[in-house]
Amino acid sequence: MAGPDRDCLSWFEASARQRLDALLDAGTFREAIGPAERRMSPHLPLFDLPCAFDDGIVVGSGALDGRTVFVAAQEGRFMGGAFGEVHGGKLVGMLRAAVEAKPEAVLLLFDTGGVRLQEANAGETAIAETMRAITEARAAGVPVIGLIGGRAGCYGGGGLIAGTCSRLAVSEGGRISVSGPEVIETNKGAEEFDSRDRALVWRTMGGKHRRLIGGADAFCDDTVAAFRAAALDLIGRAPAFDLAMLEAEQARLRARIDRFGDCRDATEIWARLGVNDPEAVPAMDTRAFEETVARVEEARHDAR
Amino acid sequence: MADWRGERKARDARIEAGRAHAQGKVVPADAAVALLEAVLKPGDRVCLEGDNQKQADCLARALSQCDPAKVNGLHMVQSGIVLPEHLDVFETGIAERLDYSYSGPQGARVAKMLYGGQIKLGAVHTYLELFARYFIDLTPHVALIAGVSADREGNLYTGPNTEDTPTIVEATHFKNGVVVAQVNEIVDKVPRVDIPGDRVDFVVEADTPFFVEPLFTRDPAAMTETQILIAMMAIKGIYAEYGVRRLNHGIGFGTAAIELLLPTYGEKLGLKGEIATHFALNPHPTLIPAIESGWVKQVHCFGSEVGMDRYIRERSDVFFTGADGSLRSNRALCQTAGLYACDMFIGATLQIDLMGHSSTVTQSRVAGFGGAPNMGSDPHGRRHPSDAWMKAGREAQVVGDPALMRGRKLVVQLVETFGDGLVPTFVERLDAMELAKKIGLELAPVMIYADDVTHIVTEEGIANLLLCRDADDREQAIRGVAGYTEIGRGRDRAKVEELRARGIIRRPEDLGIEPLDADRSLLAARSIKDLVHWSGGLYEPPAKFRNW
Repeated sequence: MAGPDRDCLSWFEASARQRLDALLDAGTFREAIGPAERRMSPHLPLFDLPCAFDDGIVVGSGALDGRTVFVAAQEGRFMGGAFGEVHGGKLVGMLRAAVEAKPEAVLLLFDTGGVRLQEANAGETAIAETMRAITEARAAGVPVIGLIGGRAGCYGGGGLIAGTCSRLAVSEGGRISVSGPEVIETNKGAEEFDSRDRALVWRTMGGKHRRLIGGADAFCDDTVAAFRAAALDLIGRAPAFDLAMLEAEQARLRARIDRFGDCRDATEIWARLGVNDPEAVPAMDTRAFEETVARVEEARHDAR
Repeated sequence: MADWRGERKARDARIEAGRAHAQGKVVPADAAVALLEAVLKPGDRVCLEGDNQKQADCLARALSQCDPAKVNGLHMVQSGIVLPEHLDVFETGIAERLDYSYSGPQGARVAKMLYGGQIKLGAVHTYLELFARYFIDLTPHVALIAGVSADREGNLYTGPNTEDTPTIVEATHFKNGVVVAQVNEIVDKVPRVDIPGDRVDFVVEADTPFFVEPLFTRDPAAMTETQILIAMMAIKGIYAEYGVRRLNHGIGFGTAAIELLLPTYGEKLGLKGEIATHFALNPHPTLIPAIESGWVKQVHCFGSEVGMDRYIRERSDVFFTGADGSLRSNRALCQTAGLYACDMFIGATLQIDLMGHSSTVTQSRVAGFGGAPNMGSDPHGRRHPSDAWMKAGREAQVVGDPALMRGRKLVVQLVETFGDGLVPTFVERLDAMELAKKIGLELAPVMIYADDVTHIVTEEGIANLLLCRDADDREQAIRGVAGYTEIGRGRDRAKVEELRARGIIRRPEDLGIEPLDADRSLLAARSIKDLVHWSGGLYEPPAKFRNW
């Protein structure tokens, strides 16, 4: 790709490194444990699988509009951005360093299908450690902002981690969930969830649905510039992390399941949310969708 | 004295028997089985319309539910074996013999049933070949066809997926056969008459609309940089080189990438109006950006494609449409157009051997041919020149009087050296030959014979087989673009460099292409949604292709 022009660079299409280059102020990114150090998975060679020099994640620090931020970007094109031992270790290390260094914010650029099956125990541990490290960073006053719009979405443990972030921004192509469409279909049957019906997948797990029910706090166009603007905005309005906020979040999630637990399809949820023409939501452009969001109560919550 | 009107009498008797289950020509769906049992006789040749896309599925279900004691030993003559019912009838003895063209999704079951002897196979044909035999020795006694709507007189509207219907009806009706059509609805007046009512004997009002498979939609989001590189080489090294204006594309991702590169990479090379202006092609959604940016002048279609109806309706300067505004497709005529009126066929395959024979058959699947062997063959009956055709002819001609030289159809295979699951595309021996031996086929199911292939394009380069002068040239030209496959690694390096010096092998750098430029940002559309935007909202993709 010829130079990171953030105005037109597609987040969905870009690699992890292209996203970071265009997201941060030009020339400010400093990578920690970069590819030159060759910190690769010790497990993948046992399965005769190729390794990546950065184990599929780029971590470091840089400036966002002049303010110091710590960042981590998953590479969805290496093993679906899945968590392994080194991958998770780099992420947890960055978050723990943030507790000490107290940057303005931590940005997590999710692009993951979850845990790598070949190193599942290490991967699952990494998920738990990451969630703990995020809460420690937030408790230390560092907002943790998740940006989701990559090809692999944000699934499995990635979906759990996203749930612990201060704020999330998502694009239309971004998906957030725990079990992926194929997993649900395999376990519950195609009648329950047809993973090949992509319109169903997106209206159940996609960015628009997550934004409408308040699962994500910002909806942006699929450009790096839009994600940058969303990140700046969300840092400015990250919630506190204390008992009152946790209780508010618990109440919000309880109310959500009470209100929508019996819905059979996302369009039913949108109708209950007060969206006039639920069937029209998937085809809406960003502007029309933002106007719809502005009229929905759940999308304006303050808890996390 | 001989009876010269016996067939006609037999046909009248069949229709008379069928009338018991009809009101005029109209038959309710629940009487379809009884109707078929009345009009069919054991051993009949039957065309159960199974096209590349459109399926007479209600009639297929009815046929499979007939009593094998009444209806048996049928000889099925149909282009597509697509639905499970198409094969179920062979398990129950309703059908016995088969002549067909294409079996895509049922390929594995066809192979098993051929091996098990449940199907007595005549031959696996190309479309045109099977259609031709409908008029010579495989004329159906009964045709079971599909349309969108009919009136009570039997006038039939086939909808945009006309496909094989006119050909089947022509052969059946005019040679004393019985035509039964399933339609989605009976109407007072059809939008346009695709088949005149006097050629249709019975109309069954189907319980559900007929099934159509979106077979020609390629999601730009799944296109890889390797496919883009191959597409760039094809555009610069073949389309531009020969000035190919009239052509047919296969259905793979490689040709879809070419369609999406025309308005970007092609534009940059200044090729607009010089290449790819007239197509024999289904309405591929990936062609939308090239149409919208003025590259494509005209497209004639074999069938339609799900979701493209509104777009086609609004682009009648480009497509063939009826008085009602919707697409009129015709497989037999479009195959003929692809064979005689196009200068190039370009498409993918699964296996290529050292001589350049190719096949999509694997040891456990008999996928059939469809139309590729028609489009991908040099028509010896062609008598009109074009620059592209003559240039290819000059490259191939080595002996004889230049005044008697004729042109050559460009037949281009576009493949990655390793296919799905890292299976090598280049092989010593085609699986098709093993299969032929295993199930006793007299003719190995070769998709395109080596003597028809003119170019092979892989990510490693282009091999121009027209310029090869002997078998060794040819083998090393193929090895020379076969990458890291066993075949590729078995190359004679010095010979390959010699072929490169002679322009028989051309690498990306020989074409002035930097492989790192092969980037998805070059695609005019990178998602299905981009295609919808290009179409001004007229393209309506089916749910399985949406990510919104």
